[in-house]
Amino acid sequence: MTQAKAAVIRSDLDIVIARTLARDTAKALGFGAIDQARIATAVSELARNIFLYAGTGNITVREVERHGRKGIEIVCEDQGPGIADIDLVMQDGYSTSRGMGMGLPGAKRLMDDFDIRSKENEGTTIICRKWRS
Amino acid sequence: MDSLRIPILKIGDVLIASIQVALHDASAVQFKDDLLQKIHDTKARGVIVDLTALDVVDSFIGRLIADIAAMAGLMGTRVVLTGLQPAVAITLVELGLELPRVLTALNLEKGLAMMQSLTEESGDDAS
Repeated sequence: MTQAKAAVIRSDLDIVIARTLARDTAKALGFGAIDQARIATAVSELARNIFLYAGTGNITVREVERHGRKGIEIVCEDQGPGIADIDLVMQDGYSTSRGMGMGLPGAKRLMDDFDIRSKENEGTTIICRKWRS
Repeated sequence: MDSLRIPILKIGDVLIASIQVALHDASAVQFKDDLLQKIHDTKARGVIVDLTALDVVDSFIGRLIADIAAMAGLMGTRVVLTGLQPAVAITLVELGLELPRVLTALNLEKGLAMMQSLTEESGDDAS
């Protein structure tokens, strides 16, 4: 098992750093070029969400194994304002003024597992995984 | 940190910008502003934006490219996007961003040919 690696999100530069970390990890874990692009793009969307709505947060990337399958797990945590209505933000096209309405549902489509937990005024944690075929 | 500037080259009345590095948000917005200003300054009839070197295009960059095409269109300039990698095309569609109104070509060479036929048509209109 490779060690978990983390990126701190504080600026738009960190979005690029986080998705590069995710891509490099996915590549090291044996994901193909298209899955690497899916994973990197999903992390880009999630990192931008942290930057836009919480200001700062952390993204951790690690290898996971379940029922003999290997995959990559991405954990995004912030202590931002939280999401009042998760069903609403997971709808395609829903957006506040600064977003573009496809960040979270788009990231979900690009990954295999997608779990989002949020408490208003406490923050949001998103755990997503992609399994190697 | 200063944002990266993407060089914009002029060949005839076509501008060519090849994005060679991963763009962060500020440098992408800078590129949009630079490109629109250059269209105005050079009176270019067409713009080719080559994305061959990009391995990730997220919704922010995707929407920015759609915006550039729409804004250049308002100024009377056509935009052709070239060189999208297979993985980028797949993730853009899966993400839900299909760029339906943006002209595309497989590579820079085909993009230039497309631009030539497009600007010839509009050239006939103008004369």
